[in-house]
Amino acid sequence: MTVEESDLVLVKRVQRGDKTAFDLLVRKYQHKVVKLVLRYVRNPAEAEDIAQEAFIKAYRALPQFRGDSAFYTWMYRIAINTAKNSLASRDRSPIAYDLDLTDPEESHSVQTKLQDPDTPEGMALTEEIRLIVNSAIEALPEELKTAIVLRELDGLSYEEIAAAMECPVGTVRSRIFRAREAIDKRLREVFEGGLGRTEEMV
Amino acid sequence: MNEERDSQLSAMFDGELPGVECELLARRLTRDEALRAQWSRFAMIGAALRSERGVALHDRVAWRVQSLVAQEVTYGDGTADTAITSTRTSVLVPAGSVSASTRQRWLRFARPVAGASIAAGVAAMSIFWLRAQDNAQPTLASNAIPESVVLAPQTTGTTVALNNAPSVEARVSNGEPDRYVTPAPSSSANIAPPARLANYVVAHSEYSGPLSRRMALLGLVATDPSEVPATVDQSAEQGAAAGAPDAP
Repeated sequence: MTVEESDLVLVKRVQRGDKTAFDLLVRKYQHKVVKLVLRYVRNPAEAEDIAQEAFIKAYRALPQFRGDSAFYTWMYRIAINTAKNSLASRDRSPIAYDLDLTDPEESHSVQTKLQDPDTPEGMALTEEIRLIVNSAIEALPEELKTAIVLRELDGLSYEEIAAAMECPVGTVRSRIFRAREAIDKRLREVFEGGLGRTEEMV
Repeated sequence: MNEERDSQLSAMFDGELPGVECELLARRLTRDEALRAQWSRFAMIGAALRSERGVALHDRVAWRVQSLVAQEVTYGDGTADTAITSTRTSVLVPAGSVSASTRQRWLRFARPVAGASIAAGVAAMSIFWLRAQDNAQPTLASNAIPESVVLAPQTTGTTVALNNAPSVEARVSNGEPDRYVTPAPSSSANIAPPARLANYVVAHSEYSGPLSRRMALLGLVATDPSEVPATVDQSAEQGAAAGAPDAP
């Protein structure tokens, strides 16, 4: 089964009346959609608003979704159109047109802006998560680290990773799961401990 | 057990879980908030690894979308076996956008009722048709049945009217006829020995179906005011009424 087919299982559940299945799709793709929208708008908070609007549009259009394309591809188009419409309605130009990213100073400024979450709490949480994930990755055994990096950063399938690492697909699945489990264990500690631990860690 | 399930969750997130397992796990996910939280963290781990700058690593968008979707129309007929009572909110929906599920549920109820109504209508039509046939039969019956036969009282309480019979003996007691009187035989009554047939029908009634028995009896029933109701004694009947020599 591919990612597309896996998503299609959830889509069909939504079409049969399971709203929670749509929540799973949103949870899975929210970061990617926000990142996509951030190519069009500068403000992360505004990007979140647009992403939210795009997901609602997707939900309303979901009965017409027949699975001819992957869910994310379809969602991607909706998000881009929503972002463009949002810009048009506010009479703004996309960020790509009014910024010279070749200019190091301006580019750095953009990067800084994009890194600014809208609230101190959000910023703290995001940074904390990043620190935890990166430190957890560094602590992983080499085979687990390689497997999760090939999957998440390079987007390889299990079969491709198996070929690259010269091991069975089942081993790849196990390694990726164990890598995630190790990172997740650290994340759970953060969520259970709540905010406020950032300063101690930093 | 949990490790296997979590391993499946990881594989499903990557789209590497076999279809059947994926369907089962999706069903489980809709019921298990802890599993959904883990699903979220898997997404978060990926986003953190990819260093998606400017993207806040939390579920705020998902949370807001979820609360908005709860107010949206639920699709399908609700056959997805979900435990989404926590997220499904009762909402007022514009009349024009009522989901097809309501209509389908109504149809599911109405179809058998409509079928039963049609069947009842056909049965009623059959009864009326049979009665109409009963009224049309006396001409033949009056010719065919030479003797009077006392039959067991019928529960229908109807009086058989014959077009060519002078009258109908309707000895009514308690509102029901206690017997029917067959007319005297005509000279041309050589079709069948009706008394024998009637007796045969009466004697074998317990082996025949109610409808066929009724049809046979209706064919035999006739009236003759001059006729004194006879007993079932065949020879006496025949001797008194017709004088037929071939009594059994």
